[in-house]
Amino acid sequence: MPALASLGERVRRVPLVLFVLLYTVVTGGPLLWVATMSLRTTAEIFKDPYGLPSPAHWEKFADAWFKSNYHTYFWNSAIVVVCAVALVTVIGAMAAHCLARYGFRGSRLVRFLILSGLILPPQLLILALFQILLDIDLYNTLTGLVIVYVATHIAVTVYILEGFFAQIPQDLFDAARMDGYSDFEIFWRVTVPIGAPALFTAVTLNFIVMWNEFLFAVVLLTDDDKRTLPLGIMHFTGSHQLDVGMAATGLMIAIVPIIVLYAFFSETMIKGMTAGAVR
Amino acid sequence: MAVITVERLCKRYAGAAVPAVDEVSFTVADREFMVLLGPSGCGKSTVLRMIAGLEPVTSGTVSIDGRVVNSVPAKSRDIAMVFQSYALYPHMTVYDNLAFGLRRRDVEPAEIARRVHAAAGKLGLSEFLKRKPHALSGGQRQRVALGRAIVRDPRVFLFDEPLSNLDAALRVTTRNELIKQQQEIGTTSIYVTHDQVEAMTMGHRICIMNGGKVVQIGGPLEVYRNPADTFVARFLGNPPMNLLPARIAATDGRLAAQFAGVVVALPARALPSLASYSGREVTIGIRPEDLYESLPLREPGRFARLPARVVAVEPLGAETLLMLSLDASGDELVARIGRDTALKSGERLELALDTDALHLFDPVTTKAIV
Repeated sequence: MPALASLGERVRRVPLVLFVLLYTVVTGGPLLWVATMSLRTTAEIFKDPYGLPSPAHWEKFADAWFKSNYHTYFWNSAIVVVCAVALVTVIGAMAAHCLARYGFRGSRLVRFLILSGLILPPQLLILALFQILLDIDLYNTLTGLVIVYVATHIAVTVYILEGFFAQIPQDLFDAARMDGYSDFEIFWRVTVPIGAPALFTAVTLNFIVMWNEFLFAVVLLTDDDKRTLPLGIMHFTGSHQLDVGMAATGLMIAIVPIIVLYAFFSETMIKGMTAGAVR
Repeated sequence: MAVITVERLCKRYAGAAVPAVDEVSFTVADREFMVLLGPSGCGKSTVLRMIAGLEPVTSGTVSIDGRVVNSVPAKSRDIAMVFQSYALYPHMTVYDNLAFGLRRRDVEPAEIARRVHAAAGKLGLSEFLKRKPHALSGGQRQRVALGRAIVRDPRVFLFDEPLSNLDAALRVTTRNELIKQQQEIGTTSIYVTHDQVEAMTMGHRICIMNGGKVVQIGGPLEVYRNPADTFVARFLGNPPMNLLPARIAATDGRLAAQFAGVVVALPARALPSLASYSGREVTIGIRPEDLYESLPLREPGRFARLPARVVAVEPLGAETLLMLSLDASGDELVARIGRDTALKSGERLELALDTDALHLFDPVTTKAIV
C-alpha cells in the first residue's frame, strides 16, 4: 500500500520539519527584523520596535552609503579582506602542499608551530601586535591590518587545506614528475585544481570571519577614514549617539557580500568541508 | 633505444632493520621486456621507483645506456611510467591527460594533437577524448594510463602492477593488448607484478625477487624448469611444486633418493653434483604435472611408483587436481592429472612419478643442486 507508506513517511518527517521551521525562525527572524529596521527611521523604531516599514525609507541606504561614510568603510573592508584572503590562501596552500607532500626534516615541528595558532586566543596577541605595528610604522594602516589578518588566519587555512591535500594520491604527483613537471608546477597544475573545493572552503570561511572581524580592527585602526565596516556600524551605537536605524541599514549593507558568497559557493564549500572531514 | 643497468642497488629506509632492496643487480637489454616478479613487500616496486627517479638510491647505481643517472631527476630521465592506480589527473579530460607530458616538453601543439590522436586511435580511446577520467570504466582508464606513456615516446617504459585493479576477464584481454603494444613499439620495458601468469606470458626474461634480493633471472620457461631455490620452485607454478624430505644413498653402486618408503633412481644429469650429498638429507621437488594417475606407456622405466591415498579431488574442468597423502610418510602431495579420472576421495592408488623431472634442493641453503 504505497499511499499508507507515504503517509507513515510523512508522519515520521514531522519532527524534522518542525525542527527546520524552528531553526529558520530562530536564524531568519533576527535577519528579517534588522531588514525591516533598515528601512525605518530611529524615531519610528523607538515608537514601535516590531512595526513594518511603512513607508519604506529606501533613501536611508543612499544616506548611509554617502553621508554616513559607509562607502569608505565598505571599501576599506573590501581592500583589507580581499588582500588578506588572497595572501592567506596562496601562502596557506603552499604551506599545506609542502606539509602534506614532503616528509622533510622538521616538518612535524613546522606543522605544530603553524597549527598551534589555532589554539591561541586573539586577545593574547593584541597588545604585542599593537606594539609591533607601532614599531614598524604600520599601526593605523590597512596594510598592517592585512598582515595581522594573514598571520592570524594561516593556521585554520593550513588546517583545512592540508587535510584535503593529503588525500590526493601520491601517484598523481609521481606521474606529474615523470611527465616532467617541477615541484612548483605540480603544486600549481595538480594540487590547486584538484584541491579547488578545499580552496573555496578556505576562501569563504576566511572571508566571512575577516569581514566580521572587530577586535583587531578596533585596536589597530584609529582614523575614521581607515575604519572597516564593523567599526563603522559601532560608530552609530557608540556612547555619544544611538542611531539604531542607521546601524541597521549599515548591517544590511555589510551582509550583502556574505550572502552573495554563500549563494555562489555554499555547495562547493560543503563539498570541501565534508571531503576534508573524511580524513 | 635504451639499455638499463642496475648495479648493487640498495634502499634502506630510516629506522628499518633490514634494507628494502639489497644489492640488486641486473641488465635489461635494448627492446627487452623484463618482469620483476615477487611477493608483496619484496622490494620490486622500490627498485622500479628508483629506476624512475621517484625514490632516492641508498647505494649502488642505476644506468641508462651506460650513463649513471642516480642524480638525474625523474623528469630528465625520459622514462614513462604506468601506475597501479593509473594516476590519471581527475580534473583533466582524456585528451589533456595524454597531452600533459608533451606540453611540458615544448612539443608543437599540432604535433601534440597528432600524437594524442594516434595513440588514442591505437588504444580505442578516440571517442572518449573529451571525457574526464571519472566517466570512464576501469579498462578505459587503464588504457589512458598506457596511452599517456606511449605518446611521450620515451626511452623506457616502467609498469607498476598496471593490471591488478582490473577484473579477471579484463585483465586477460588487457594483458594481450599490452603484449601486442610492446611487440609493435619495442621500447625497453620493466614490468613489476606479483602475478606469475603475467610474468610467464609477458616477459622476455623474469627477475624473481624475495626479501629485497634477486633470487633468479632467466627466461620464463628456464626459471620454471630450473628454479634456483625452493622459493622460486614454490612461487612459480600453480599449484606450487611439492617439496618432500629425502635421503641420498648409494644403491647397487648408483646414487638414489629414498623417500616415502620408495627408492627412486636419480636423473643422470644430477649425479655429479650429488656425489657429496651421499648419505645426507636433501629436499626433493615434484611438480604436480609430473605425477600421473597410471604408468604412462612410454619409457616405463623412468617412472617410480608412490602408494598414496586420495584426500580430495578438485575437478577444474580441463584438468583435475588430486590432494594426496603418501602411505609411507603421510606427506601431502598435489597432483595435476587428466580430467577423465574416476578417482574419489578415500581411494588408494599407485602414483607414477617421472623421475627425470625431479628437482633436488639443499635443505639448509634451499638452493637447487645441479
